[in-house]
Amino acid sequence: MDPAVLADFLAASVRIATPLLLAALGGILSERAGTFAVGLEGQMLVGAFCGVIGTHFMASVGMGLAASATGGMLLALVVAIATVKFHTEHMVSGLAVNILALGLTSFMLRAMVGGGQAPVIRVATLEASPVPYLSDLPLVGTLLFRQPPLTYLAFLMIVPMALFLFRTRAGLTLRAVGENPHAAFAAGANPARVRLVAIVAGGGFAGLAGAVLSLQQVGTFTDGMTSGRGYLALAAIIVGRWMPAGTMVACLVFGAAEALSLRVQAFNLPISSYVIQMLPYLAALTVLAGLGRSARLPAAIGQPFRPG
Amino acid sequence: MSAAAAESPAGAAPGRLLGAARRARPLLRALASIALAFLLTAMLIMIAGKNPFTAYYHLVAGAFGSWDRIIVGLNKTTPYLLCATGIALCFRGNVINIGAEGQIAIGGLAASAVALAAGGWPAWMVLPLAIAAGALGGASWAGVSAAIRITRGVHEVLVTLLMNFIALLLVAEALHGKLGEEGAGFPQSPMFDQAVWLPKLVSGTDLHSGILLAVLAALAANFLLWRTTLGFRWRLVGASLPAARYAGVSPGRTVFGLMAAAGALAGLAGAIECLGVHYRLIEGFSAGFGFNAVAIALMGALNPLYVLPSALFFGFLETGALAMQRQVGVPSSLVLVIQGLTMVFVLCAIGRSGGEKV
Repeated sequence: MDPAVLADFLAASVRIATPLLLAALGGILSERAGTFAVGLEGQMLVGAFCGVIGTHFMASVGMGLAASATGGMLLALVVAIATVKFHTEHMVSGLAVNILALGLTSFMLRAMVGGGQAPVIRVATLEASPVPYLSDLPLVGTLLFRQPPLTYLAFLMIVPMALFLFRTRAGLTLRAVGENPHAAFAAGANPARVRLVAIVAGGGFAGLAGAVLSLQQVGTFTDGMTSGRGYLALAAIIVGRWMPAGTMVACLVFGAAEALSLRVQAFNLPISSYVIQMLPYLAALTVLAGLGRSARLPAAIGQPFRPG
Repeated sequence: MSAAAAESPAGAAPGRLLGAARRARPLLRALASIALAFLLTAMLIMIAGKNPFTAYYHLVAGAFGSWDRIIVGLNKTTPYLLCATGIALCFRGNVINIGAEGQIAIGGLAASAVALAAGGWPAWMVLPLAIAAGALGGASWAGVSAAIRITRGVHEVLVTLLMNFIALLLVAEALHGKLGEEGAGFPQSPMFDQAVWLPKLVSGTDLHSGILLAVLAALAANFLLWRTTLGFRWRLVGASLPAARYAGVSPGRTVFGLMAAAGALAGLAGAIECLGVHYRLIEGFSAGFGFNAVAIALMGALNPLYVLPSALFFGFLETGALAMQRQVGVPSSLVLVIQGLTMVFVLCAIGRSGGEKV
């Protein structure tokens, strides 16, 4: 294969994997603490929206990114309050909030700026910031060291996330709450608060994942622009078995699958692009079904915690 | 379960009052949630610089203003009612099936394939065959999810969620391949032969007979759920798995039956959308139906009888919103906000009452 074509394909895979990875990292936080992260899709969408609005009105990308994270966290707070305080069913609450996010962003876009019409707000996309020297390496240079800032953030977060979850006391508490909230409660932790914080922090990541789409890749916001990526991130968490590194691999594979589906004609592949797009979902199903009850879901995931 | 409470001997006056209060609760809950949602969205309308009263007036007028509007509303209600009835049954049995989205898609795909393939056959044969294919398609799609759920012990939400995406991609694959219309510029199938269109309920209008099927399905589901042994088994599995096992009810078989029934209803909805509304298979025809149906089922207290008004409300809300957008310039995506908020409030109310469904 032509190295230029390969490099382009790999770059596309990384590009598509980046928002998935950021969202999935947020999802891991929420799910490890025992709450299904179905709301990722909505949090990403709100993040994408707030990023564009923030950048546009405050004329600063930094404010835009802050707005993205805040927006994701606010929407996550809705899920958190519903599931933790009102013991609602996690999956359905997540779905509800996703519908809410789709409506809110579409409505606010028209109401705030469009005067009833759908406006197109153009913002400058985040530039690639090459790492000195390393970015001049052949092939890997462009791929690994000539990326926009949020891509570095997503891939660099893997290590601190893994360290936090598996090497710190707070991470241990978080996982304990997801495995057995009653035991964690008996040991002095506050499961309700841990879950609340984990969901909201996860929402911050998902919000930034939305910013990857709107601020780093497209440069504008369109209705429902996440188009299922939040659910794909959910599938990546499953395939990665709730581990940051594994999830990163899953995201990269999913990214490669989508990049491939866009290049079916260029590569003269014998299968259709839609079949390739099914691969991530089929992979997630296979992992779930293949591992069955040993899929190592956090044991208390989806179960409300009522003290006493 | 409060159904049991409602049927308990209510000899004393306080008991009867309590029973009445319990029966009124789902209605109160739904009304309070809707009211709260409308109140919050009124603020959004004000942010948009419009008068909420005018906006809501046009919403209602747009929904009920003329026979044409009512007919559009009834047609919109049809798939909601079918899917939400199935979801209500599933949730009763504690099967969180959120796969209606994909089941509709496969139902529409199967019905369209039959309608297109059987072009030369007599119409009285093709139409029932296409409808049956839709129901069967939805049921088997749900059956696959159920099988994975039962044999591998994977949470049904994850399975049905993933299966939704595969179903939508299957439809896309079919439309870009065998079933697609060449040179249409949009992923859609050729139009069906007029003979296999779903007959109109009132000739000369757009009102198709699907709403009749949907109401019948809801009534049948209501009867099944509350008046038959099968329905009792469903509710038993939902109320207490150990009790169900002790009574000799197979949880696996119950889950499979529930999912297949819900899948058949969703598939039927897909078939009706294709045969009665679009007269062809088009990409994205099922978008949002399945997820909204979850909201409708919850608002209807997971009771097929209450799902009927709940589905009507959502159907008419959507037609009204389109009129509101035209008349007042309030974006119709407000509907999604109302739906999402209503869903959150109903869920919170259910959760607060300790997960009790009625």
